[in-house]
Amino acid sequence: MTLLPAAIVIVAVAVVGGALALAAFFWALRHKQFSIKQINEGAFVIFDSVEHVGKPTDMTFKKPLADTDEHNHA
Amino acid sequence: MSTTTREESDVKSPAAAEQQIADEVLRINIDASATSPTVLFLTSGIFWLLVGSALGVIVSLKFNLPEWLGSTPALTFGRLRPVHLNTVTYGWISLAGCGVIVWLVGRLCRVEIRWRGLLYASAVLWNLGLLVGSTLVIAGYSGGMEWLEFPLPAAAIIALAFVLFAASIFKTFSVRQVEHVYVSLWYILASLIWFPILYLVANSGAYQGVGEAAMNWWYGHNAITMWFTPIGLAAAYYFIPKVIGRPIYSYYLGLLGFWSFALFYNWNGLHHLVGGPLPTWAITVSIVASLMMFVPVMAVAVNHHMTALGHLSIVKYSPTLRFVVFGAMSYTAVSFQGSLEATRTVQEVVHFTHFTVAHAHFAMYAFVTMILFGSVYYIMPRIAKWEWPYPTLIKTHFWLSALGVAIYVIALTVGGWLQGLAINNPTHPFIEAVNITKSYLWARSIGGTMMTLGNLLFAYHFALVVYRAGPRRFAPAWMQKVVEVPSE
Repeated sequence: MTLLPAAIVIVAVAVVGGALALAAFFWALRHKQFSIKQINEGAFVIFDSVEHVGKPTDMTFKKPLADTDEHNHA
Repeated sequence: MSTTTREESDVKSPAAAEQQIADEVLRINIDASATSPTVLFLTSGIFWLLVGSALGVIVSLKFNLPEWLGSTPALTFGRLRPVHLNTVTYGWISLAGCGVIVWLVGRLCRVEIRWRGLLYASAVLWNLGLLVGSTLVIAGYSGGMEWLEFPLPAAAIIALAFVLFAASIFKTFSVRQVEHVYVSLWYILASLIWFPILYLVANSGAYQGVGEAAMNWWYGHNAITMWFTPIGLAAAYYFIPKVIGRPIYSYYLGLLGFWSFALFYNWNGLHHLVGGPLPTWAITVSIVASLMMFVPVMAVAVNHHMTALGHLSIVKYSPTLRFVVFGAMSYTAVSFQGSLEATRTVQEVVHFTHFTVAHAHFAMYAFVTMILFGSVYYIMPRIAKWEWPYPTLIKTHFWLSALGVAIYVIALTVGGWLQGLAINNPTHPFIEAVNITKSYLWARSIGGTMMTLGNLLFAYHFALVVYRAGPRRFAPAWMQKVVEVPSE
């Protein structure tokens, strides 16, 4: 009585979930998300020409420090 | 918007200057498109944080003063405690998490947020669902299962709100201007698929008896890991490198961490039923999966640590980095604790004790909530164009939250362990297991009160920024006074 609906839900979820995971994985492969080029450059997508690498950004209303570690903090 | 792939100084050639202006304008437009929905979600989330925190303190004090508010049914432990749990998880963390997600997705996809009407509708419906659910539970119509106390009407409203939210995010993602999907986006998009599946399955009502207990813990554990955890990790993967100005240490590890997270995490949950009337193999599978979680956790821990290494001085003054690093370190610690807690030897002692409560707060507050605080400290000045007026408030908020949750977690971890040993000792009367926890429960109330005070300060400060009130600052609201700030 109680086993059948539970089994239907579990099997359906397993099939749908597995299919979605596989679809996402193959989508990523097809779009070369795991290519050496994309992986090497992937970490840099959060930067741009203004907020570039080497520029701390937690300072909205002031020009950033060139190298934070070199400055003293009281 | 160009992607800068190497360290470079601000070049001043005409082309570079033009590119900088284009990047700046694009970023301003993206942030502007995210402003209203982000503020709406964050404001709602903070409202529920205050509600949930107040209820948490009341519930905690009931352990110290059992008769207090005990004569009014609506104010009894069995009704207030579920409302505390549901308002801080589906209210604070989910809504604030949605606010952070909206802002992050705009930045990571480099497009303005699409279908914003759906986001507004989602926020309104989500709040309605919380209101209906909390009212029904207070009135005595609880679903009866932990994490699933909201009755079906409220759950249905929240599920619909989630679908609307996810539709907007996926639409924005579909028109993105960045080819590569950054690791934070992987976590965000995956959680938008995982959570509705979990929520719909758990609320399907297709289970009874032992199967219901199994589903309950599968959901209870995975709601944390497949929805709240991805929000925290996505934010950490963005804000740590962004604040420092240094790319993540190993992007390979980042992707390995995500896919191993996706592979192992959803098998967890049944380890909570060690000793219960379930097939041994099912529980064993869950324990093995918990131990396998060392793989993604180590990947994340190494990545975050190595990214911040050499730049830890920024933690001294950056509110965002201070909170996010605290949360990231807590993630490593609570995950290690969770993996060990899943083993039979440990679980047989700690199950049914306050140890589990400590573990949950370690994850939901010390990890996820602290990262959300850090995210809000970064996002709000940018979208409100108003710096946090009082750095001292941020500092006080941090220490109240950090010390509060530390006292809470340590007290209940120790107290819960002693409680478990006492429960398992057949020569001791049960009341000894109760008495042994008394001092630890007072510590819990003190820690919880400190966290609540911190939350109140945070809410007040947030309101000042939203209304652009308080003294206007033209310098960053750093947590330490900076002696010298060179101009560019």
